Amino acid sequence: MQTKEVPMREISQEELAACNGIDGAPAWVAYQGLVYDVSSSYHWRQGRHQITNRAGQLYERGLNAAPHGPDLLERFPIVGRLSG
Amino acid sequence: MARVAREMVEMTGINVDELLELLITNAAAELTTFYYYTILRANLIGLEGEGIKEIAEAARIEDRNHFEALVPRIYELGGKLPDDMNAFHDMSACPPARLPQDITDVKAILQVLVDAERCAVRGYAHICNLTAGKDHRTYALAQAILNEEIEHESWFSEFLGEGPSGHFMRRGETSPFVRPFMPSL
Repeated sequence: MQTKEVPMREISQEELAACNGIDGAPAWVAYQGLVYDVSSSYHWRQGRHQITNRAGQLYERGLNAAPHGPDLLERFPIVGRLSG
Repeated sequence: MARVAREMVEMTGINVDELLELLITNAAAELTTFYYYTILRANLIGLEGEGIKEIAEAARIEDRNHFEALVPRIYELGGKLPDDMNAFHDMSACPPARLPQDITDVKAILQVLVDAERCAVRGYAHICNLTAGKDHRTYALAQAILNEEIEHESWFSEFLGEGPSGHFMRRGETSPFVRPFMPSL
């Protein structure tokens, strides 16, 4: 269950896409309208997770197919809400 | 490379290059875990540590077996291991299972072991999910490894007192599930 305080900052699709974790860019992913910063995770190095998932994108499909629930994602800081 | 074997996988819609990356990064995780578990096992001493040493050793040997079993499938599908061992270490699908700061803290060592196994369980479940009903050979191999990783997790989890799992440690031979993929054993 999400209990963190969610920053009111609105994040555009373009800003999310730029945070793809490549070459020093932060690694952000969007899930259920919230944007998480997974940059500190070993499992998202270079913006890739389990090879098939990419940072800078929506993570709905990836997480739905993943062998874990959203609880692992919810350990990471929330950057804001995805606009649009 | 087994050309037709690769073509059959490609025809199912699986991205074979991505699958190969998964197999290689998990092979790296197995070999690096074998190395780090060697150090963990050496430090499992004293009244508490000695009781865990044997299962740590079984998990260590089975992780090495997993590496050995994965390699032929990587080459069959047209992949290869990196030439550089450092690069191979750094691409591991799981973080290094390093000794905890307090090397006398057996519970902390157990936590390192169970975290490593949980990473492996998720990794092979992911490969099984990708290949189920499509790439039968990779699926069978990943499923065999998954069976052993789940048992490793259960062993260490029970020692941490997280609850019973009903599993028993190995009696005699290692890798009961992966052995069919390793004719040399």
